[in-house]
Amino acid sequence: MPASSASSAHRPEDLISRLSSAAAEDGGKLKALRELKNQIIGNRTKKLSYIKLGAVPSVVSILSSTAAEDDASSASLLVQSAAAVGSFACGLDAGVKAVLDAGAFPHLLSLISHPNNKVVDAGARSLKMIYQSKLAPKYDFLEEKNMEFLISLLNNENENVTGLGASIISHSCETNVEQKELSDAGVLKRLISLLGGSLCERDASLESLATVFKGNPEVVSMFLGPESGRALSAVTELTKDRYPRTRLLACMCLITIRNASPCYLQDVEQKTKLMLILLELLDDPGQVGDEAAFALSSLIAEKEDLQQLAFEENVVNKLCNHLQKGPLQAKRIQGILLALADLCSKLESCRSRLLSLQVLNLVTDALTHDSADVRAAACSCMKSVSRSVKVIIQNLSAGSFMNEVIVIPLVQLLHDTSSSVQIWFYLDSNVCIPPCCSKRDIGYSMQHALHCFIDPFLQVAALGAISNIVVEFSKHKSVFIQCGGVKQLVQLSKSMESAIRLNAVWALRNLMFLSDNRCKEGIFLELTASTLTSLICDPEPSVQEQALALVRNLVDGCVDSIEYVFLEDGLILHAIGRQVQSALKAEVLVQGMYVLSNVASGNEIHKEAVMHQLFPQDGSTTEPIMIKHLQNKNSQLRTAAAWALVNLTFPSNPGASSRVAKLWNAGVTSQLKNMVNDPCLDVKLRVKTALGQFMTFGDGST
Amino acid sequence: MSLFWIVIRQLAELEAMATSKKLITREEWEKKLNDVKIRKEDMNRLVMNFLVTEGYVDAAEKFRMESGTEPDIDLATITDRMAVKKAVQSGNVEDAIEKVNDLNPEILDTNPQLFFHLQQQRLIELIRKGKVEEALEFAQEELAPRGEENQSFLEELERTVALLAFEDVSNCPVGELLDISQRLKTASEVNAAILTSQSHEKG
Repeated sequence: MPASSASSAHRPEDLISRLSSAAAEDGGKLKALRELKNQIIGNRTKKLSYIKLGAVPSVVSILSSTAAEDDASSASLLVQSAAAVGSFACGLDAGVKAVLDAGAFPHLLSLISHPNNKVVDAGARSLKMIYQSKLAPKYDFLEEKNMEFLISLLNNENENVTGLGASIISHSCETNVEQKELSDAGVLKRLISLLGGSLCERDASLESLATVFKGNPEVVSMFLGPESGRALSAVTELTKDRYPRTRLLACMCLITIRNASPCYLQDVEQKTKLMLILLELLDDPGQVGDEAAFALSSLIAEKEDLQQLAFEENVVNKLCNHLQKGPLQAKRIQGILLALADLCSKLESCRSRLLSLQVLNLVTDALTHDSADVRAAACSCMKSVSRSVKVIIQNLSAGSFMNEVIVIPLVQLLHDTSSSVQIWFYLDSNVCIPPCCSKRDIGYSMQHALHCFIDPFLQVAALGAISNIVVEFSKHKSVFIQCGGVKQLVQLSKSMESAIRLNAVWALRNLMFLSDNRCKEGIFLELTASTLTSLICDPEPSVQEQALALVRNLVDGCVDSIEYVFLEDGLILHAIGRQVQSALKAEVLVQGMYVLSNVASGNEIHKEAVMHQLFPQDGSTTEPIMIKHLQNKNSQLRTAAAWALVNLTFPSNPGASSRVAKLWNAGVTSQLKNMVNDPCLDVKLRVKTALGQFMTFGDGST
Repeated sequence: MSLFWIVIRQLAELEAMATSKKLITREEWEKKLNDVKIRKEDMNRLVMNFLVTEGYVDAAEKFRMESGTEPDIDLATITDRMAVKKAVQSGNVEDAIEKVNDLNPEILDTNPQLFFHLQQQRLIELIRKGKVEEALEFAQEELAPRGEENQSFLEELERTVALLAFEDVSNCPVGELLDISQRLKTASEVNAAILTSQSHEKG
């Protein structure tokens, strides 16, 4: 049988022309509608191709031209066309857009009051599908008429209509004002009563309740209030429901309550139960399993007690098992990686468990995943794991960390462009918060999105991971440099966004730490003296601090490397001198003093240059900055200052005696004498050494 | 939670105790079972739950009248559900899909696994009838895109298409797909999904 003849009868173009043909009587149209509906339901590819061929407007025009009549045949037409519209909108943003563009929305809305129950069902279902997309129009609850309509939906006897009401809340309720308005209008009460309804009503109610609670302790307290203890136990009871989706939604509702008012859910047993239910849900092969990982992540994010509990319940092992079982859908990997990132963000025990389970290669694979969400999640995970230097050293010997396999994808992520899409998606999330996205991610991204136009999220995550793993492993640094990592970091250190500058400089600083001369030279040539100078003078103190620490690592070690700060007429040294004289933050001063101290360990010219920076001969009579630093309440700064003095007055140097005399004149010696009993042991030791060196030139005071 | 599940859970707990800790002798087991007190009306609800789930409309109706036990769902919906189940059992999968979509278009649109299994069953039926070309075209057009979306679907699809590679399908490694049990498996998956969508069971 020739296959072509069979398929030509079902050619999409023919089907569409049958839909829009004016000649076809209702029976023909109905048949074509039903055929279209049956072809697209469950079939994403077909939906897309029919949308491209322009099928949606034809369907919507049947919907609109039939709306007025009320007989059996027009009811069937309405049911079929509403169902087709709903299917186009189901799980496909392109479909929602096509449906809205074709003007289907008001027609579907009018079906809600149709006398035929089947028509009402079809209309409500389709609207529900639309409201599950972030493209759906926002519903304005603050408009009185709208609130009345919403309540009439929630009180309707048809469960699809009540479900629609709940979907509208889940989609459109965002601000605390709206949350409060809804609960004041009695919506909270109605939602609670729906918890005892049918499956569809229960699920819809749980989802809406979570939306109304999100980040609103006031509404939560109304819910937990005197007579609502029963409502809470109803939700808790639903975490044991027989339907997985209901269990998940009930858990998510409890987590939202906990995150909005931390005083709730303190009971260890209850917390453990919640965690175990979510772990069990992770076994679900579908959407519920995907979302369970996100729920777990929002349960444990930033809460050390819950992370500890999760560790005790073997959550790390269970999540890793899932990863190893593969192959998994992108959403699933993303959720699991995020949960692992949260687990490993604070606790060393979790990190070493993760590394011992040999899943790091899977996390590394995820760094190059097709989906940007997965890549970002893998970065977060890598960042959390790499926070532990101890763990890395252990694994280095096994050769499993910081090799080409990890570094190359991380460097590639520094140029990841899709992250810019992501930041705007997160910004968008204020309009429609993805159901399980952790609040922290959104908050973090929002904060950055407000003052930057490029993509900080992914880059910052990747930078954090790089920064943690380049430290201390000189033999692997060359890998990083060879694959263009330094070039990329230097580019990022010029970013407009301070978080990116900070992380890039931080990573460079770590890269510079204990590097050999060739390595240092390579980094410096890429970075240049002028960029480094402007980083030292950055408007952000935290960037200044890291830039100075970078220079400190640069000039540490052999005498030759000190010459870097003298290039281009001492551009860098002058910048350091200015910071040491004028910076306000102790952290910046500490790093500045340490750089000077390292420079002062060099030859005569180096030492004199430091003296010049510390005691500029500008004729000013103010107290020298060295004295102020020695008196500072920050013991690290006092230590750094004392170190510099030790290096400046090393007795075997020819110029030492003249420097001692200068320091004595400036009052440094008597200040040191006041410090011999400094509470900080480090300071005390350096002060003693310095004073000992001063004494070899004779006590100037006598 | 329905009584049926409570009982199942209790039994499962007993079983878990048995496997994890100690061996329970038959007498002990019987004794434990005798100690479980079940109220008459609970037992009736369990029976009704069974009749509804398995689709015995007439029996459920009679039982309702005789015992006064109200079913969790409208008994009229059983007929529709059974029609779908029967269609799958007798190999008319396309017909079954259309019926499900008429009942509630959300079921297959939001349940990719079930949708895939039904399409897979359609492919199996085409292969059974020896319509090789049609089967290949169907696999390529309808099932391959689902395999691209989901790795585990792809593996199942490969297993199914492997049926075409054997002369004697009754004696090949994937032969069980042609077995009647595969139809029953698919039918019961659809049955469960429709039941869930119709559930008016109180929490």
